[in-house]
Order: sequence, then C-alpha cells, then structure tokens
Amino acid sequence: MKKVAIIAQTKEGQLSDASKSLISFVSSFSPESILLLAIGDVNFSTVSASKSIDVIQLSEGLWIDSASIQPLTQAVDGYSVFGIKSIQVDNLLSLLAASSSQEMISGIQQMSYSGGKFLITKSIFSGKASLSLTSETAAYFSLNRNFDFSANSVYGEQSINSVSTLTSAAGSKASILALKPITGSIPLPDAALVVGAGRGLKDPGNWTIVEDLAKALGAATACSKPVSDLNWRPHHEHVGQTGVKISPNLYIACGISGAIQHLAGVNGSRIVVVINNDPEAPFFKHADYGIVGDVNDILPRLTKKLQTH
Amino acid sequence: MKILVCISCVPDTTSKITIDPSTSQISSQGLTFIVGPYDDYALSRAIELKESNGAEVIVLHVGGAESEALIRKCLALGADSAVRIDGNPTTSAQIASSIVSFVNQNPMDLILMGKESIDYNSGIVHGLVAGALGYSHFNPVMHLDLADDGLKLEVEMDGGKMDVSCPLPAVLGCQEPIAEWKIPSMRGIMTARTKEITVLPFDTTSQIQILKADIAETARKNKMIKAEDAEQLIDLLRTETNVL
Ligand SMILES: Cc1cc2nc3c(=O)[nH]c(=O)nc-3n(C[C@H](O)[C@H](O)[C@H](O)COP(=O)(O)OP(=O)(O)OC[C@H]3O[C@@H](n4cnc5c(N)ncnc54)[C@H](O)[C@@H]3O)c2cc1C
Ligand SMILES: Nc1ncnc2c1ncn2[C@@H]1O[C@H](COP(=O)(O)O)[C@@H](O)[C@H]1O
Repeated sequence: MKKVAIIAQTKEGQLSDASKSLISFVSSFSPESILLLAIGDVNFSTVSASKSIDVIQLSEGLWIDSASIQPLTQAVDGYSVFGIKSIQVDNLLSLLAASSSQEMISGIQQMSYSGGKFLITKSIFSGKASLSLTSETAAYFSLNRNFDFSANSVYGEQSINSVSTLTSAAGSKASILALKPITGSIPLPDAALVVGAGRGLKDPGNWTIVEDLAKALGAATACSKPVSDLNWRPHHEHVGQTGVKISPNLYIACGISGAIQHLAGVNGSRIVVVINNDPEAPFFKHADYGIVGDVNDILPRLTKKLQTH
Repeated sequence: MKILVCISCVPDTTSKITIDPSTSQISSQGLTFIVGPYDDYALSRAIELKESNGAEVIVLHVGGAESEALIRKCLALGADSAVRIDGNPTTSAQIASSIVSFVNQNPMDLILMGKESIDYNSGIVHGLVAGALGYSHFNPVMHLDLADDGLKLEVEMDGGKMDVSCPLPAVLGCQEPIAEWKIPSMRGIMTARTKEITVLPFDTTSQIQILKADIAETARKNKMIKAEDAEQLIDLLRTETNVL
C-alpha cells in the first residue's frame, strides 16, 4: 500500500490508546510510509508501528475551510488518511477529502485491505444495520469509536523520525470568540462507563443518586432528551438519535423507557443494564441485565456495594 | 441573503429496517419517510432568519420523485422555492458534488444542513461541500445569529463548546437547540401548492461500490436480576462480562 497518514489525538503530550491502536492497525496494511498528524502537543519519542513515523503537530487554530487547511492539504497529498471518529476529526477529514477531490467513508465498523482494495463495513441507521462496500480509490476514512482493533497485531517499538509543526493558514476571517470546555466531568463520548437517567428520576434534585453511582464507578453521566429539554440536565448529556451517540463498555439506564430514539444513541454499548420499575418497559428487550425496581432503592444499594466491596 | 437548506429524506426512526433479498439492499417496503430531524432544525432556523431579517430560503434535495411530498412540506413551512436533483445517490460524495454543482451555478450566502443524516449517519456532506466550494465550515452548530460581519455561532467541539465569528459564505451542520421544529400552518400549506420545485438532472458517479446491506444482530443477554438481589449485578459485571 502507498503512503498512510493518521490523525491522532494526544493528551498531555501522549497518544491516546485509540490512536496507538490505529497506528498499529494501519501498520498491518504494510504502507510505504506512515505520517502522524497530531492534534495537541507531541511528547513521545517512540510508537508501536511497522516502520518509523514522521510527525506533524497541528497547532491550535481554526482548520475550517479550504483556505485555512491549505498547508495540510499539501502535506497529505498522495496519502490515505485515517482517523477515529470525533467532531474535529470528521470535520477535518471531510474538508481535506473534498479539497483534494478524494472520496471519504465514515462510520467504519470493520475494514480490511487486500489486492489493492478496501473492504469496509459501515454502520448505518444508528447501528441497526450495516453496509458492505468496497473501493480502490477512496482515501479518507473515519473509524467508529468502537471499531474492533483486537484482530490486528502490534509491531515493534519504532522511534519517531521527525517532528514538525503546521499552522492553519491565514486567509479565513473566522475567529474564536470564546472557548467553553466542559470541566470537572468525564467527557461523554470518551467514557468507557456511562450511567444514564431519564424522566423516571422525577426531579432534578434526585440526580444525586445517579451522580453517586457514576462516581463510585468512575462513569460519565448521561440523560434522555426530555430530561435535557426540561433543563434538568445540560444539553450535552443528552444521548440518542438527536443527541450524543455513545459506545461505552457499560451503559446503565435508570428510569428510561427505552424509546427507539434513545436506543439509537446507545446501541453501540457493549453491555447494557436497565433499571426500571415497569416490567413492561421496552428497554428490557435491549438489555443484557435488567432489574425491575425503583431507582431510589436500587441505585443507592449499587453505590454502596461498589464502595464497600 | 440567500440561504440554501439541504435536506435528506429518511425512514422515520420507528421504522423496522429490513433487507430486500432480491437486491441485498435496504427494502423501502413499509417505510414512512420524514425530513431528517437535524435538517428540520436547519430549515427551522432558516425560516426564523427569513422572518426576522428577510432572506430567500431555497430547499435542496438529491433524490427521487417520491420525496416531493416532503419537499412540499418544507415549502409549507416557509421556504420560497425548492430544487430536487433527480437521482438515487449511494454515497456522500455523489450528494456533495450534486450540491456543489448547483451552488456553482447559484451562489449562496449560507448553506445549512443537518449535522448528520439519520440513515447513513455519515456526518460529512457539509464538510465535503464546504471543502469543495472553499466556504467556511462549522459543525455542529447549536446557536446561529446574524452579525455585522457575518455570523455569530455557538459550536459544539470535542470536550466543550465555542463561540465563533464566522464570515460568509459558510456551510454549517446544525443540531438542537438551534431552533424549535415547526409545524406548517394552513396558509403555508395552501401557498406551498403554487411554489416551484425545480428538477435538475443528477450527473455524478462514485468509485465506492456498495455490495450489500445487513441487519445488525442485537445479541443481548436479557438476564433479569431480582430487585432484592440487585447487588449481584456488580458481581456479574465484574466476573461474567469484565466491564468493571
Ligand atoms: C424526532 C425525535 C427525536 C428524539 N430524539 C431523542 C433522543 O435523541 N434521545 C432521547 O432520549 N429521546 C429522544 N426522543 C424522545 C423519545 O421518543 C422518548 O420520548 C424519550 O426517550 C423518553 O424519555 P424517558 O425514557 O426519560 O421518559 P419516559 O418515556 O417518560 O420514561 C420514564 C421511565 O421511567 C420509569 N420510571 C418511573 N419512575 C421510576 C422509578 N421510580 N424507578 C425506576 N423507573 C421509573 C418509567 O417506567 C418509564 O419507563 C426523540 C423523539 C423524537 C420524536
Ligand atoms: N440526499 C440528500 N439531499 C440533500 N441533502 C442531503 C442529502 N443527504 C444528506 N444531506 C444533507 O447532509 C447532511 C449530512 O448528511 P450525512 O453526511 O449523510 O450524515 C444532512 O443532515 C443533510 O442536511
């Protein structure tokens, strides 16, 4: 295979685990060379890959139109570019793909490369179905967060060849007026464990039992749409068809009925637990473990068990 | 100001998705179609801007004649005219290039889309269009206001939100709470009957070949735990599934 580039997220200078998996995954295609486009600081000197890597650090900035991404378009000319789904990665990949007149495939669940062709499974209908497709020419790929990397072997430690920095070009008149990061909680899209709660909690004041359970687990909190519409919880916690799509290892749904629009956002979870006092709640059909009971009784008991054993 | 709103026409989320064995593709039998929910937010905001500041709102859909009833609904909500690019796109690139060739002939100040279509969930058509046209691009936009020098937006980003000043022309992917969904008025429905839907030819190809569609199997365990034994859940999560 020809040249491969990866968009990777770094945190405190280190590569995220998903980015490391992505590097060894693309290594399995035996590319001629590997280029790492790092969003965030770079503070590592080795990677697990099939060959040594050149790193381009993307400086903070607005990579938001074909004028501002021009330097990057040139840097990845002739490369196949891979990323793991996030807001920034998908926005950047789609702009790059169009600026270089290449095709892009997003929502990739499985992927292999042989005989000069990619064979790809893309999830559609919020995970209810999938499409198998093939392409010799598509060059931009966004992999789902729950992409299964486990089948791909990890290569030896390689050192970094070179690190350079790329700044988005001036030319775009857009500017950031204020950054409003969410602080103090685990970002929902990244969380491995999530506790979600719905209208069954009855009152925003009752959320302490949800937060206590989340804290005991080290989980992020989520909610159903009516709950954020009622302003009981912030909008960014709302999961579902019109909200965030999550794919954690564990999702515990408390007092949520399991409407299809809610399921659309949580289908990708590995294990689903449902706690609801109505044995007929539709969510139980989509649960790995179900408890018919009152959240006010069950949640504190689970929290206590986690704290004591 | 000219605003183009691009809409997808997608199966209602409550639809049961099935495969047509003769084509190995998603069957359209028994499906009810709706305007994509995010696209509906985009359209609602465009109509609000038209009502508050004056704007020409054009709705565009790339797809077959069966979508005309939904396009008509957009006209009833207050869009001024509509364009249907008559084809059966199978990839995001085909949709994007159809939109791009229309805009090359009919320049726009603002192009609003949903953050993603709820059938293909790609979330990329707006980026592809912005990249090809060279317009500014933000996605997903939660608030949109007009400003002296373009737009003032609140945009979600990984791990938070940001306020940005965005010049025109721009392509934006929209999500709630950018606007409230609207219901057509009787008067809107009447006037929509005489509004024009221009049909243009579809003329793009894609190198991506769709082989088949499959229904995802949802193999959940469906194990019930008695309320009095609720604590057992923690043990099962630790030992049976290793998620804790
Ligand atoms: C176009 C569209 C898009 C939508 N998008 C989304 C979306 O993205 N996300 C989303 O979540 N919804 C979405 N919805 C709304 C969705 O259809 C449901 O209305 C919503 O998910 C219901 O939320 P809920 O389960 O919290 O509330 P309810 O349906 O009211 O359910 C509350 C549940 O709590 C249980 N309960 C009550 N008391 C207790 C107790 N003490 N202990 C335990 N259980 C209790 C009840 O048995 C019930 O099952 C959308 C709807 C539409 C039309
Ligand atoms: N067939 C279509 N015709 C016009 N616009 C579309 C079409 N499909 C998708 N779009 C727009 O592109 C957005 C993103 O779609 P997608 O990239 O498929 O998730 C949607 O929310 C629509 O606004």
